[in-house]
Amino acid sequence: MSTAYQIVVCAGIVPDPLQTLEPVASPTGPALKNEMMLPAVLDPWASHALYEAANLAKNAPGSKVWLVSLGPKAKLQQVMMTVAQRVPFELVALDGPASGFTEAAEVAAALAEVIQTIPGLDRSRLLVFGGWESASRGAGATMQMVGERLGIVDQFQGVDELKVNPDGSLDILERIEGGKHQVSKCVGPPALLGWATGNLPEPKNNPQVGMTNMRAVMPALQKAKAVKLAGEGLTFASVTLPKQMRETKVVKDKLPDEIAAEIVEWIKK
Amino acid sequence: MIEPGFQTDAPTIERPRMDADIVCVGFGPATAGFLTTLSKQLTNADGTPVVESAVMPGLPPQVLCYERADDIGFGVSGVVTKARALRESFPELDKADIPMAAPVSVEKVLYLLDPIGASRRSTLLKLADEMIQAFKWALPVEDHALKLPWTPDFLHKHGGMVLSMGQFMQWVGAQVQSTGTVQIWPGTPVKEALLENCVTSASNSVAADVSPLYLNSGKPEPTHVGCYKPRVVGVRLLDQGVTKSGAPADGFSPGMDIHAALTVVGDGPVGPVGQQLDELFGLPPDHHTRDWAVGMKFVVDLPADTPLKPGTVLHTFGYPEPEIFGFLYVHPDRVASLGIFVPSWFDSPVRTTYRYLQHWMLHPYLWRYLKGGKLRSWGAKTLGESGRRGEPHLVGDGYARIGEGSGSTNVLTGSGVDEAWATGAQLAEAVLELLKARKPFTKENLEATYVQRRRASWVESEARVAEQSRDGFQRGVVTGMVGMALAGLSGGRLAIPGKPLRPWERIPSLEDYFRGRIPPDEVRAIRDDCYARGVSAHAALMERAGWPTIPYDGQLLVSHQDALLLGGKVQAPPGYADHVVFLYPELCQKCGTKLCVEVCSGQAITPGENGVPNFDREKCVHCGACLWNCASASPENPERMAVAFRAGTGGLHSAEN
Amino acid sequence: METVLLIAHTEADGVLARSAREALHAARMLNKTLAGSNLVVGLVGENVQAAADSIAACPATRYFGVTGAEFTQARYATDATAAEAICRAAQATIIVAPATSRWNRVLPGVAQRLGGRVDTHVTDVAEVGGQPAINRWYYRQRMEATISRTQRPWFMLIDPGSQPACECGAGTASVEMVTVSLPEACKRTTVVGVREPKADAQTIRPDAQLLFVTGAGWTKKQADGHTHVPEAEKIILEFLKHTRASLGSSKSLVDLGGEGQAVLPFLSHLNQIGQTGSTPRHPKGLSTCCHGEEPHTVGWRFIAERRAISLDPNCGWARGKADVLYVADAFKVMAKVNELLTKG
Repeated sequence: MSTAYQIVVCAGIVPDPLQTLEPVASPTGPALKNEMMLPAVLDPWASHALYEAANLAKNAPGSKVWLVSLGPKAKLQQVMMTVAQRVPFELVALDGPASGFTEAAEVAAALAEVIQTIPGLDRSRLLVFGGWESASRGAGATMQMVGERLGIVDQFQGVDELKVNPDGSLDILERIEGGKHQVSKCVGPPALLGWATGNLPEPKNNPQVGMTNMRAVMPALQKAKAVKLAGEGLTFASVTLPKQMRETKVVKDKLPDEIAAEIVEWIKK
Repeated sequence: MIEPGFQTDAPTIERPRMDADIVCVGFGPATAGFLTTLSKQLTNADGTPVVESAVMPGLPPQVLCYERADDIGFGVSGVVTKARALRESFPELDKADIPMAAPVSVEKVLYLLDPIGASRRSTLLKLADEMIQAFKWALPVEDHALKLPWTPDFLHKHGGMVLSMGQFMQWVGAQVQSTGTVQIWPGTPVKEALLENCVTSASNSVAADVSPLYLNSGKPEPTHVGCYKPRVVGVRLLDQGVTKSGAPADGFSPGMDIHAALTVVGDGPVGPVGQQLDELFGLPPDHHTRDWAVGMKFVVDLPADTPLKPGTVLHTFGYPEPEIFGFLYVHPDRVASLGIFVPSWFDSPVRTTYRYLQHWMLHPYLWRYLKGGKLRSWGAKTLGESGRRGEPHLVGDGYARIGEGSGSTNVLTGSGVDEAWATGAQLAEAVLELLKARKPFTKENLEATYVQRRRASWVESEARVAEQSRDGFQRGVVTGMVGMALAGLSGGRLAIPGKPLRPWERIPSLEDYFRGRIPPDEVRAIRDDCYARGVSAHAALMERAGWPTIPYDGQLLVSHQDALLLGGKVQAPPGYADHVVFLYPELCQKCGTKLCVEVCSGQAITPGENGVPNFDREKCVHCGACLWNCASASPENPERMAVAFRAGTGGLHSAEN
Repeated sequence: METVLLIAHTEADGVLARSAREALHAARMLNKTLAGSNLVVGLVGENVQAAADSIAACPATRYFGVTGAEFTQARYATDATAAEAICRAAQATIIVAPATSRWNRVLPGVAQRLGGRVDTHVTDVAEVGGQPAINRWYYRQRMEATISRTQRPWFMLIDPGSQPACECGAGTASVEMVTVSLPEACKRTTVVGVREPKADAQTIRPDAQLLFVTGAGWTKKQADGHTHVPEAEKIILEFLKHTRASLGSSKSLVDLGGEGQAVLPFLSHLNQIGQTGSTPRHPKGLSTCCHGEEPHTVGWRFIAERRAISLDPNCGWARGKADVLYVADAFKVMAKVNELLTKG
């Protein structure tokens, strides 16, 4: 008999990847220029985690997916309109900064605390999902700390595949060096998985799913607890864009054969 | 002619269905006005519904809005507006809440002289230019620009606001949704309206169920026979998981049918549902949508030492071509929105907006402000320039039309957002009245409520003044300007007459257009060479005709593709069909101008095999210029041309426009 | 007074990887510049003596080890227990570690257990005003910050390739074994093995001299109005066969699969570089048919010499980012490159 999982997906919001980002100093530390104006998306790797969670829940009847997200309420609301049509979930929202310059340990504390308030959480069915790195802080540290706070010591990062065996054990593929995957077997929940890309295509928009999700999204946003992230003990001496403007030599009038010869010579050098 | 994949429905496709009370198409200023007004009045103070939903008894009416763009506020334009209707909806409006908003502080209208001699000016205009040059010691002329000492009141926006529509729409979207009574879904294009009481050849009888009959192009499907008192009963969303031609592929997910008692059509001047309804119902007598313009803009970080104050509003005309109008609006924090409009009455077969925009920016009067600036965002959009004369049937059984696609734009004052918002708000009041009276959304009931409100409003009276104001442009720019002044100052009683031609009737051949400047043989040689290389010909032709090359600086003067990526962050999600389709390849093969290629705002349309252009969905910014920049008439409908501009996803990913 | 702990794990053959020596270099820098600090080494593996001996000439005052069959493989529960035990035994205030997949997985959790803080993607360490400071990246390698922290212990995971490897010589190290007890709860996961990419699979190879970046242009219509995907496939694979280059790709090219378009079958998300992909380090990079920020600014961040082939002479992405931009048809150039490489 398959397990009905409780899958908690931690996913923040980040600037739409194609936006131009520039750091600025603010009274509370570094920030992005026009941060509130930049279009936001659900963190890409965490999005994969959400899709994997939904897929797992679909195949394990009785399962449920929560999406735990910390970000400015207005931005969260906006991002939910593009996410909520994809897969069914219940939002657990925290109102606070989504900046990459926030401290992972403080974010983890807030996430773990709110996860523990989810009613009826059962460790024997609990899977905590997230992205293995955010596109903002890009540290790959928050999920491990959330796991520790929840007392989960079966943790996996850079996950590309999760397979549930008939005996309920989990086969997990994690990215390691050299384009390889480490294959692990875990006896079952509770476990924490920081997802890389996974194998699922992006789900299609489903208006029915959207309408159902939204009934809970708005109330969740309304009762989102405000979270202050003080960045205690952390000092930024500087935040800069890499200065690596290069003098580009533009070669326009050479024949392909000449260019090829030049490239081969350069490769061999 | 039409690929099999585009047949609307193979009978075997089972489409999911969802029921709502009201479904809106497109989240632009009009729908925003509608939802803002409606959402505030759907529930009582104690949270109980003012009226009950017909599809979910006990709850307030279920109101859904589907927006094509990938997020709210992507792909609309920066404006200066009197904001009368906006203030009515938000009496407490605090500009500080809306990023990039500034009160209008300085207004100038400038006539730009041609500093390089490449502009195509009439003899009359040349004479005027010479006079200005001769008397420049006595006139307010600086940097090849004459500041008009006086401008008529109807052109002023004092008391108004400079806005980024993207930021404003995001702000409104948040306000509206936080009421919890309406849902706005971006990234979800509506393919077409669902119709009832229509006949298809497949059924050969009045369809008992819902049968969408029309393609978004406005071109009827081969199965179309006719409709008897057609009724709109909702919308169909776009199919997902299909190939470029629309055939089901991996992950095929047929577009859902959303049934609703009322469909609110606010999908703009080139929206698919608006096009479909225009085709189905036709336009009222003497109405037409022949006048268009494509607007393109940059959002720019001005240099640190800019003297321009927030709220500065500059409007220009005269350069780079006399027909091209320009604008520069200054937001707070040294940010400016600036751009040009290229209208359909600029009779050029190479009317490239991007290239002209660069020449406009390089005009000495403007470049002194822009030099050292940096591109932040970029975008383009089509404007319906027919105004009230392009007004369609505003209502019918089950639907109502609002905003720019409903002919609300005032072509005399150059104002559209405020008017669009007002029409949305008027519809909302009408809908509430009907809901409370438990009256159905029939044509008669909507006429007695919405249309009646609209006719009694300033939107209508001002549109009447504007209705013929631009006809003079059919005879030339100078005549057009005089005509506008006459109409504006006489309250619409006077105007210079002129019969607007259909866009395709106006396009001269390349050889004729460049006659006297480039020998016809050379024009053909340049064109053929460019098309053989898969690129548009305007750059080569314009440079041969005297326009200087653009000195790219990688900051503000960037290649067209860089504007897409650096500025517009243009992208398209996979799994959708091409939304630009060349319906009659045989006409494309014969076409010598390829205006669609030359004008394409994203270089998404390029010369293709055997003369039929290629379309690259990933570069399309959904400006819709291809819809009316075509030199071939549709064989089925002389008011339309040979390109279909359908519902599609993707486009701009910037909310600063 | 800081106690700087280098913590490393041994490789399958019991030795230290280069990345561990690079982290040791960073640890030594801190030890050298932070007045009064002392350097210690902690090693985890089935057997750590050989690894400890290999760096015995470094000025570490103590060596700690956690050994045993359970520590051969990378597993969160056991690795966390081992690392925690070493940090406690060493009373470390600064823990420097190579940012291997194994330590990346586990050390943030250990920092949590010890009430400390962790920084990953650290590219440099220094002493500023008597206190340690680091450089690390934010927003996926788009901006670099210099930060310092008051909390201890402070874990610093050093990005491989960002530091020179410590050249300290071998000797005999006296390793103090730290005993850890592993409760059953630590044994719920078993590492079954490693799945290698197929022998002919084209991936990011950390050891390659060249990163070859393929953009979406390879599958687009060419000047003749047709796509030439089989030809593109042949050219790219042949080039990779000759050069053993890493194969990187733009997101748009990887994503095309969903579009029902012809795709390059050997590309997957593992090839993706840039914002949502990897940011590999190679001495040289050659981009072809690319137009966009992803490969040129983000994906190329750590490529030393960069060249690009593009049909667009004004490509704002290549300009200022590449050393040389060849305005040419990549199909033609790369076919010729292959021909020259075949000739040797």
